Amino acid sequence: MLLLAFLSATAAAAEPAASVVTLPQPTPPHWVWINDFVFPHMVSGKAMLVDGDTGRFAGALDTGFGSMRLVPSLDGKVLYSPETYFSRGTRGERTDVISLYDTAHLSFISEIQIPAKRSSNLPMMANAQLTDDGRFLLVYNFNPGQSITVVDTHTRKFAGEIESSGCALIYPTGNRSFFSICADGALLNTVLDDTGKAKSNDRTDEPVFDVDKDPVTEKAVRVGDTWYFVSFSGLIYPVKNGTVQPAWSLLSAQEKAAKWRPGGLQQLAVHTPTNRLYSIMHQGGLYTHKDPGREVWVYDLNKRTRVQKISMQHDAGSIQVSRDAKPLMFSIFIESSVLDIYDAISGKFLRSVTDVGTTPTVLVSP
Amino acid sequence: MRWLDRMVEGSARSMAKRTSRRSVVGYLGALLVGASAVPLLPVARGATPPPPKTDDKAKQVDDPTSCDYWRHCAIDGYLCGCCGGTQDTCPPGTQMSAVTWVGTCHNPLDGKDYVISYNDCCGKSTCGRCMCNRNERDTPLYIPFQSNDYNWCSGNGKANVPYHCSTARIVSVAK
Repeated sequence: MLLLAFLSATAAAAEPAASVVTLPQPTPPHWVWINDFVFPHMVSGKAMLVDGDTGRFAGALDTGFGSMRLVPSLDGKVLYSPETYFSRGTRGERTDVISLYDTAHLSFISEIQIPAKRSSNLPMMANAQLTDDGRFLLVYNFNPGQSITVVDTHTRKFAGEIESSGCALIYPTGNRSFFSICADGALLNTVLDDTGKAKSNDRTDEPVFDVDKDPVTEKAVRVGDTWYFVSFSGLIYPVKNGTVQPAWSLLSAQEKAAKWRPGGLQQLAVHTPTNRLYSIMHQGGLYTHKDPGREVWVYDLNKRTRVQKISMQHDAGSIQVSRDAKPLMFSIFIESSVLDIYDAISGKFLRSVTDVGTTPTVLVSP
Repeated sequence: MRWLDRMVEGSARSMAKRTSRRSVVGYLGALLVGASAVPLLPVARGATPPPPKTDDKAKQVDDPTSCDYWRHCAIDGYLCGCCGGTQDTCPPGTQMSAVTWVGTCHNPLDGKDYVISYNDCCGKSTCGRCMCNRNERDTPLYIPFQSNDYNWCSGNGKANVPYHCSTARIVSVAK
């Protein structure tokens, strides 16, 4: 007993009274959010934060049923999380909300109730997006009617719902504009007014994508005013101000013959300062468009040429590149829980972080 | 087309019983459990000779609890046959989604292509058994009714939106 009392006194003297870690705010650029919809237990979605420079697991958030993805505010102080809850676990009344979390304490600030119809699907970045000025949060709905929920982040209130029948997802193009993709390959261009209501909501007269021969995936990435879509076969379609530019291929004729093609859940990433595009690549036939890859090919978007191939430590299904001048590349796969971290310029493997979630989906830079 | 569904399923089931590796393992398992009090294992082994060497893949094509089952060519989720239901029925206490995505799968048993409806079973948390993801003719989310990435329990009456597992029901012969 004497020994125990001594140990206890020593421990009490060595450690501060009950305390909780506070995180830097805004979240450093080399940190990354790993979103997890926890497929075997969908009621308990979560998101995890990792410091890419050290591999330290920095914290986590609970994000409800069928967790989608966190959307950081432009100032890096708040995280917006579209979430779904039921009054009795998996039964009872369904309530959809945008939960707001404080990035310094990973604590709940408040919630904004939205129509209980946000889309439940394999999470994509285009499920929830901010307008360019950060004012409006846009959330894709599917029940299976299609629409877009608009939330005003200034007033922290539901601002309205915009019809998008036949068209899906959200690709912002400005402070008050975004487009959705329609089932026939047309675009639905929406312009908002300053209250978040639709000022205009116009479909292109003709399809801009051929959805039959070689459809583009919905996993596009953006540099400036251009969204880059990739097709199943590896053609890049730049969409600038609502107009599709000439397509170019990620692959040479030989690589195509060797059945190289892009694939994955978050299959593309970009680094805006160097204008580089990163694409997960694998060898496989048609309809392997969701397969992971063991290589990431890097392209100069100005020259439309490949500048690098990065060999991956593990299967890569989702990649993200940090936004800073000395970027890191993060990689994970939904069937694994190992986060791999690379120097995004040299391609050098730096470190792995194990036991990161259950079914990790999309990676979000702060 | 329910009659066709039943007919083809019956054929597939009996074929599965004859040839499936899983059914052989299940049979052996039942024998072993029943015999656990007495040392009958060698007898059980002797009574059930190993199946003839055939292509495992070919067997799994006929097994509704296998990801390689022919109807599963565009499925993405947990197989209801592993969760208390079958390839065309939902487990007890769940609800079948009214709308869903469809795929077209080739049945090597009769050489025909079939339109398959992948109705999700809803209202309980995820089953978590026999995860299967195959993407033949799967389309992106902007073409919803051929996309296996949606949770098709969405908007489903009282069970909106908890997903439990996925079935693979025959709709018709593809033309």
